[in-house]
Amino acid sequence: MVMEDDILKDFLAESKENLELLDQQFVELEQEPDNEELIKSIFRTIHTIKGTSGFFGFTTLEGIAHFAEDILSKLRDGIVSVNEDITTMLLQSVDYIKAILGSLEQTGKEPDDTAYLDFIVDLRNFAEKITKDVPNPAEKGEADRGTSDAESRADQDEKQGDTRATGQEQPTPEASDKLPEIRGKQTAKEEDNNKPKKKKAPAPPVSAHQLTETHVRIDVHLLDQLMTLAGELVLSRNRLTQIAGQLNNPDLMTANQRMSLVVTELQEQIMKTRMQPIGNVFNKFPRIVRDLARAAEKQVQLRIEGAETELDRSIIESIKDPLTHMVRNSIDHGIEPPDIRIQKDKPAAGILVMRAYHEGGQVIIEIQDDGAGIDPEKLKNKALEKGIITEDQLNSLSDREALMLIFQPGFSTAEKVTNISGRGVGMDVVKTNIEKLGGTVELQSEVGHGTTVKIKIPLTLAIIPALIVHSANQRYAIPQVNLVELVHLTREAVERDVQVIGDSDFYRLRGEILPLIRLRKALKTPEVASDNREEGMNVVVLNAGDRPFGLVVDSISDSEEIVVKPLGQHLKHIRTFAGTTLMGDGRVALILDVMGITSSMSMAREEHLQKASLVTEKGAEEERQFLLLCTVADDEFFALPLALVNRLDKISASSIELVGGKEVVQYRGHSMQVIRLENYLPISPLPEQEDYHLIVFHMNGKDIAFLVSRIEDSLDMAIEVEEHTFKQEGILGSAIIKDKTTLFLDIYQIIQMHDPDFFILPEKGEVVESARILLAEDSTFYRNLLTSYLGSAGYEVLVAEDGQKAWELIQEEDVDLLITDIEMPNMNGFELTKNIRANEQLKDMPIIAVTSLSGEDDKRKGLEAGVNDYQPKLDRDQVLAAVHNLLAPSRLEMAA
Amino acid sequence: MKKGNMDNVPVSTEKELAEPRSENAAQFVTFYFGKHFFGLPIDDVIEINRALDVTPVPLAPSYVAGVVNLRGQILTAIDLANRIGLNAETKKEDGFNNVIMGDREEPVSLLVQSIGDVMSVPSSQIEPTPELIEGVDVKYVNHVCKLPGKLLIILDSRALEQAENVNDSKG
Repeated sequence: MVMEDDILKDFLAESKENLELLDQQFVELEQEPDNEELIKSIFRTIHTIKGTSGFFGFTTLEGIAHFAEDILSKLRDGIVSVNEDITTMLLQSVDYIKAILGSLEQTGKEPDDTAYLDFIVDLRNFAEKITKDVPNPAEKGEADRGTSDAESRADQDEKQGDTRATGQEQPTPEASDKLPEIRGKQTAKEEDNNKPKKKKAPAPPVSAHQLTETHVRIDVHLLDQLMTLAGELVLSRNRLTQIAGQLNNPDLMTANQRMSLVVTELQEQIMKTRMQPIGNVFNKFPRIVRDLARAAEKQVQLRIEGAETELDRSIIESIKDPLTHMVRNSIDHGIEPPDIRIQKDKPAAGILVMRAYHEGGQVIIEIQDDGAGIDPEKLKNKALEKGIITEDQLNSLSDREALMLIFQPGFSTAEKVTNISGRGVGMDVVKTNIEKLGGTVELQSEVGHGTTVKIKIPLTLAIIPALIVHSANQRYAIPQVNLVELVHLTREAVERDVQVIGDSDFYRLRGEILPLIRLRKALKTPEVASDNREEGMNVVVLNAGDRPFGLVVDSISDSEEIVVKPLGQHLKHIRTFAGTTLMGDGRVALILDVMGITSSMSMAREEHLQKASLVTEKGAEEERQFLLLCTVADDEFFALPLALVNRLDKISASSIELVGGKEVVQYRGHSMQVIRLENYLPISPLPEQEDYHLIVFHMNGKDIAFLVSRIEDSLDMAIEVEEHTFKQEGILGSAIIKDKTTLFLDIYQIIQMHDPDFFILPEKGEVVESARILLAEDSTFYRNLLTSYLGSAGYEVLVAEDGQKAWELIQEEDVDLLITDIEMPNMNGFELTKNIRANEQLKDMPIIAVTSLSGEDDKRKGLEAGVNDYQPKLDRDQVLAAVHNLLAPSRLEMAA
Repeated sequence: MKKGNMDNVPVSTEKELAEPRSENAAQFVTFYFGKHFFGLPIDDVIEINRALDVTPVPLAPSYVAGVVNLRGQILTAIDLANRIGLNAETKKEDGFNNVIMGDREEPVSLLVQSIGDVMSVPSSQIEPTPELIEGVDVKYVNHVCKLPGKLLIILDSRALEQAENVNDSKG
């Protein structure tokens, strides 16, 4: 008996594993009905179950497996081919088998529920019907034999069931409530046996026994309790450590140390028990999608990405319903019926992507479809009709805001209510549920191209690796996802490489200008006056969204796995903190929110600027740049993007030499040209000073510098320039910054005015390439900047202020290459690219997307849309290299 | 029951009520801050804990002393003196006691100087809050009770645990 128990356990474990696969395999099978391997694999699984259940005498199970196998053997032998009815029937068999296995696992017996027997009858009829459809006498005979077999077994089972009933777990009330209903349907159906195709598939029995998915089932509350207890253990240990220290007993201390290690380990392990891959939820969707698509009479292909992303178990549980809701919406409202899709030149099967990944310390889940998209105008009208918004509000709504209307309670855009969705409950519930988890929902939609719902779930509850740093005698945790690298600067390095501009520090890290934020300053804790200059500086290089910055901390310790605990209501508004965590010693450490730090710092800066009544920038977030402000003579302000600057330095007036009519200085072992701006711009000349500031640029492999009298400040702001007031060579435009008119320098043009040969590459004799480039860019500043450096490299540049204009121009004019911004009004860079790629004449046009960000997401989207290259706007050398590379093949053609 | 014996003792004992209980008596957990004597209704108090480690939270509202770890649960520690406007006669230093109080879902820890007894006060002695109490913001006071030689100030636990307007408290 003991041996039999062991065999039973093995059988259950193995069958469960195999059944997990079956759902997926059946859906695949439907897509590739001729995949023999797949059929064989399914057949083997079912066959094993049938054989083993026969051995144990589980008659119901054997019966279901037998008929399922019967159907499968016909598929395998090619007598019938897969169709939806067959798949549905087989999937139901799997559901029943699972339910029986679940019962076996819990009670060691098959469930005594007549629904199972009904299903066997159903299955038998179905198998018979298939055979009838294929007139083959030999097959029929076999099926008949199987049938009678099963009937007798079923009878037997019923009897057994009756006798067993007393000693057995009763079905739950819910289950028995459903029974008569299922029963009723069943009888009706059996009368209708000759047309089984039309009848509705019977629902799987509501079973009290669900198959467990993990090895051991543990109540999450138990895990919570364990975690809390581990915390208490840590506290007790601390007390013991103190006492051991006081008693100064080495044995006690050794024993205590050992215990400490174990306790820490224990705590970590308990924390880990709560993590699960999101695949546990995602894996349920191939089946859900299939069933929904079938009900909606649509074709949907599901793609799952990032199933391994780990999430706290409780979150996984709570996102399942919202996800189902959204998938439903996508299939019901988003993806069009096949005929309409074909009319629209889309593949008949819609693509639904479920994607999960970690970003910026959050878990992001996206549900993306390539369906009809959501029309903001339609939403607005609907909202007006339903009285959700007033006419005034309607007019002031942006498209983006209009999309958010879908999350209002009582909102439904479906023309008709279907049994899947459209009853006006849904998205608002989704939103509420996600917000309960502390997350956010965003919706992006493009009419005709599809909809993406993006759920961001914060770290709360999740376990994350974090770096522990110290500042002002406190520990802080920084989520490792934000971490790029750690840099320790010696005192000499601080003096040499850290520049103070205005209120901010910058460090030049391998050629990139890295703004530094002092954690003490960000937290408003007392600053240490000067000692870190003496000790050197610890810089944690972090990635906030896409802009790296350096966080200056007092010291850096280890990295640890931490559990995020939320801050209470008094503190959660502080954006600098993402939460708290318990450290190994039982004390609390705050978790820094990297995004929060940058935004609060730049907010502080903006406040500062607003006080100086700055004409505030209202540009898109992506256009923000650090600007360097400098003066040549008093009260004449100039600005340039800090990212273009290689170094800032100081030289004494006496070190400027005149060589060949040009001024040069000896700089780092080379002689470097210096430019006086007043020679090229109508401005007051540089006053005589002992020292001058140098703004050094490194371009085209050479250094060159501007000579200015003072570096005034650095600002983080969105650049929006006005180009008409000061329209002249060397100036990109002007803006009012801190109450002062500030001119934006066109560095490239000024350098070229100074030295027309500067941009000619020394190694290639003839550099000036002749090609026409179309530049689509909505920001005046960047448009002028790019035109300037492309022009200086010898290209002819046509400009367009948005994607729509670019699209018109590119059809009229002869253009060799397109450089496009991503975010533009009317038609964005992605749409423009798609249009070009879809056009017969233009489809081979080389396209470079430029951006001030380099987000992976945008990059991926760009490459999907069909751009050839993706470069940061401000990086002249890289953009030119990309242009050069992309034009190379066409040059060859021309030469040939 | 004296301070020191009260560590980690859930406030539910009644045995110290030696004095005869009148029909309508209310029970209060009492504590001191400077010369003031305060009470909280016993039902609002979850437990009393001697000096938990307070981790300061920079940028927090000034009435928040920091956060404490109560057996794995992170609680906001409210500096009673600062919260109710007491002239801080005592500096923030170790040795404060934590009165864990309020909503059981999200309790807060109230930092007080020393813990007194659990007192039973006849309802008849409980009086409405006077318009002014020296050194105390009366919006946090529910009632007062005149005792021989001292005034028991009965605090409003809801007002104490209520987060202040976010904009006011950003700091």
